[in-house]
Amino acid sequence: MSSVRLDRVALERGSFRLEADCSFGPGVHVVTGRIGSGKSTLALAIAGELEPVSGAVRMERVSRPLLVLQSPDHHLTGATVGAEIASWGADPALLDRIGLASRSGRDPFRLSRGEQKRLVLGCALATDADLLVLDEPFASLDVPARVGLARALAGRGGVTIVMTHADRYLPAGAARWRIAGGRVVGA
Amino acid sequence: MIEIRDLAARNLRVPSITLPPGLTAVIGLNGAGKTTLLEVCCGLLLPDAGTVLVDGLAPRETDAGWVSASSDRSLLFSRVADELASSGRFARLPPQAVDRCVLHAARLTGAAGLLDRSTRTLSGGEQSVVALAAGLAGAPTVLALDEFDGHLDRETLAGLIPVVRNSGARYVLWSTHDPAIAAGADHAIVLEGGVVAAEGGAALSLFDAWEGGAA
Repeated sequence: MSSVRLDRVALERGSFRLEADCSFGPGVHVVTGRIGSGKSTLALAIAGELEPVSGAVRMERVSRPLLVLQSPDHHLTGATVGAEIASWGADPALLDRIGLASRSGRDPFRLSRGEQKRLVLGCALATDADLLVLDEPFASLDVPARVGLARALAGRGGVTIVMTHADRYLPAGAARWRIAGGRVVGA
Repeated sequence: MIEIRDLAARNLRVPSITLPPGLTAVIGLNGAGKTTLLEVCCGLLLPDAGTVLVDGLAPRETDAGWVSASSDRSLLFSRVADELASSGRFARLPPQAVDRCVLHAARLTGAAGLLDRSTRTLSGGEQSVVALAAGLAGAPTVLALDEFDGHLDRETLAGLIPVVRNSGARYVLWSTHDPAIAAGADHAIVLEGGVVAAEGGAALSLFDAWEGGAA
């Protein structure tokens, strides 16, 4: 079973410091915290994109970690919505499921922010990553899309870690964590 | 009043609508035209056809504050203090007046501790707060908050709602997916596929329908 352990990890960015000593096993984990508390910093570290100043991030049985950033435009590389979906190796039928059937030929940068989020999240979920870290995935989604995303995350295998300040429409049965006073604690 | 007549802009088509002063919640599914409506009311986008008048003036003759749904795209300058000072500097206010506006907006929004930060190192939520502060520093007539709440935690949002309410902006247009924000607004409009589908109290029942429909 996949898991990721933060073993007495300390993270620093400028004068900001965050400490974490915790494990994330299979299932959905929701990490909350005030703005600027370090959710994005933690997301980077869990996904192996930020080296701790001390301690270690240990992934077990993780072959495909994937970090989905807050800004969907950081993920977009295709010239059209259809090409974007193809570039992720996703089934073209995804277009319909994310409500973009009429937008297949459109430049992804001409979608609304919410539509871009649907596109990137749909593609990310289609990869079946065994460690999926999502930074503020619910922001910009409309209500039906939030409910749909929560259901899709709850139904996923592997480890799913959601950084969010949303307090509605969260995945059922998720483990809760929060960042407070520069530390990650169980909520 | 903001009066919109015979409007065509991107996918948005509005034959006639009048928005009263106060806080107007703009509700709708992704791609419904919320951002486009906010943009034409602020003069960020010129309509393909039709007119928008803010108290009888074109939006580009009216001061507007803009907080983008993409929090990183609201910011032009590399230092937070310069971002907040930008509207005053562009208006060629004297430096002392600019400093006063910056400090006032920063204190109001809780951004005072961020003034010396580089905008690049801000979190998404902090960027949104700075964008609000920068918008308010220009004492706008129209303040557009495009899914501003989506980037904020509950406590920060609860602290900023009264700030927005008391900002002096005659018109606040706030697009949101949060039923609580919509319920607290003076006025609400619903966009569906680029047209105004409902106004007022009828808008709020939509959230229940959306939740039910998705479940």
